[in-house]
Amino acid sequence: MAYEVNLGHRSANVELLNRAGNHVFLDIDGRKYDVDIVMVENGVYSILYNGHSYNVELIEGDSSKKYIVNTFAKTFNVEIVDAESKYISSRNKGLSVEEENLVASPMPGKIVKIPVKAGDKVIAGQTLIVVEAMKMQSEFKASHDKTVLEVLVKEGDTVNAHQLMMKLE
Amino acid sequence: MIKKVLVANRGEIAVRVMRSCREMGIRSVAVYSDADRNSMHVRYADEAYRIGPPPSRESYLNIEAIIGAAKKSGADAIHPGYGFLSENAAFSARCRQEGIIFVGPDPYAITTMGDKIIARQTMIKAGVPVVPGTTEKLKDEQEALEIARQIGVPVMIKASAGGGGKGMRLVKHLDEVGSAFRRARSEAINAFGDDSVYIEKYIESPHHIEFQILADNHGNVIHLFERECSIQRRHQKVIEETPSPLMNPELRREMGETAVQAAKAVNYKGAGTIEFIVSDNLEYYFLEMNTRLQVEHPVTERVVGVDLVKEQISIANGNPLPFRQEDLKQTGHSIQCRIYAEDPDNNFMPNPGVIKHITEPHGLGLRCDGYVYEGYEIPIYYDPMITKLISWGETRVEAIARMKRALYEYKITGVKTNIKFLEKIMDTRDFIEGKYNTHFIENNEAALHASRPCGIECEDMAIMAAFIDYITKMESIQPPRYTDELGSNWKDFGRKRNVLRL
Repeated sequence: MAYEVNLGHRSANVELLNRAGNHVFLDIDGRKYDVDIVMVENGVYSILYNGHSYNVELIEGDSSKKYIVNTFAKTFNVEIVDAESKYISSRNKGLSVEEENLVASPMPGKIVKIPVKAGDKVIAGQTLIVVEAMKMQSEFKASHDKTVLEVLVKEGDTVNAHQLMMKLE
Repeated sequence: MIKKVLVANRGEIAVRVMRSCREMGIRSVAVYSDADRNSMHVRYADEAYRIGPPPSRESYLNIEAIIGAAKKSGADAIHPGYGFLSENAAFSARCRQEGIIFVGPDPYAITTMGDKIIARQTMIKAGVPVVPGTTEKLKDEQEALEIARQIGVPVMIKASAGGGGKGMRLVKHLDEVGSAFRRARSEAINAFGDDSVYIEKYIESPHHIEFQILADNHGNVIHLFERECSIQRRHQKVIEETPSPLMNPELRREMGETAVQAAKAVNYKGAGTIEFIVSDNLEYYFLEMNTRLQVEHPVTERVVGVDLVKEQISIANGNPLPFRQEDLKQTGHSIQCRIYAEDPDNNFMPNPGVIKHITEPHGLGLRCDGYVYEGYEIPIYYDPMITKLISWGETRVEAIARMKRALYEYKITGVKTNIKFLEKIMDTRDFIEGKYNTHFIENNEAALHASRPCGIECEDMAIMAAFIDYITKMESIQPPRYTDELGSNWKDFGRKRNVLRL
């Protein structure tokens, strides 16, 4: 069965041709790979291909199908697109809230200040929320002129990475 | 004799201090906030006491709670590490009052060196060079010209009330002084409503070089040579090394003597650091004194062969220094890289989180001072530094090669770190040649933020690993063969847990 795998902006067709233990034979966009692949440590894969030794680190993303993948040279966002994800994405089309209307913190931290409240009209560049982590304060600013729809956190709260803090409209 | 030391700190430095205590047969006491119950220093210490909630103000800066823990544990000394209360004169005084030895200088030295103006005055009195300039308001163009001639161009004409780059004029030639003075003054009056301007020597490509000193209670003061700390981001050091590539034996001797003078001027006791700003022409000026152990102290330890924490404790015990200046020499070259949990591609934004997997480098000529481990959650409340990597080599070339090898070996997942950024610094020409100053990171912006090429095969390997991981995961939860209608919640839980790895 072929899968679609998204790597950054690239979309690749991946097919598992044969697998016997560590020994894997697969096809990626028409290129055939005969490799020895083994998870050597939690989240770290060692791949031997044509005498080359590759180390690839995986960090699982929000779902079991999303990964942040570190190669020696570069970091990628990788997503496995199976039938289920295709179905969900086709169903959600047009329904999803635009991402720029959601304010989320990229890292865990503590809310220091929220200078706006629900119903406020904000202009592009205006500070919406200040989050502190490890002695450094980061300001989250409006990308466009918007209205604050809902504030989901309060000053003094601690937030997790990617936690939604505010909705705009 | 000190028998039990309370370490009023956390993270790598707490562990590092306790290591020396263990070697000396001294019991160690950890203090911790609620965010640090699982932290390494608590596990490493012989005893541990809770001192409050996560914010530093309520725990690691809480003098009452720390003194309380010291009394409860019966510790006879407190080591403050760096940061937190290490340069707090009130804390040093309080320890004294309570009859507890403070491993550090007395309140007088801390106060004097803590105030920039007083420190500057004290240094001028002691004959230590400070950045030349005036702090008085300039009367007219004539005076401006005279002073500029005295201290030598280039100079900066600065507004007293200035800030944010406003009201500042760089003067490269003496004939520009008049117009620069007038413009700076009009800019100052417009921007700040105050036309006071003063002159300061402009140091074009500043190098940040510091000298480690040790002083005992018997009047002996020595220095342990320099550390080069010019590679900084957001005014925070990232890489330090010794010997400095800029240094020559004569300058080293001269600056070392000046550092000793500076320490004597405040009757200093313990380990301390005199920071200098050095120009390309090797003119040096006193910047400030750090009255504590520095983050970058290990490079000195490695090259000079002295355990600075042991010496601190020995001095606190009232022992004279076990060596004289002429007994000390530098052997080989040492470099330290600070590993921060941060995202260099995103303005060095801190990145706390759970360490999913970590492999620290080992091997010849390497020291790794860290405190995190697999499954540990780096708290959001404290510094983002997680490890210091210290390499040593016979030569600078070998020390760099070894550091590159160590950075290659260092694997950590779960949090973003600056490891790749550090690797790129090691590959930068200016660094390899040792020709750099505090502008290094901005000057090499493009090279340091360029991503390395990952060809099609490299990309395919990334795809492959994610794909194999995914299908393996799917196989492990399938087939969902239920033996009866109800199934077992425990089995479901187990299967789900296999999917949601740590």
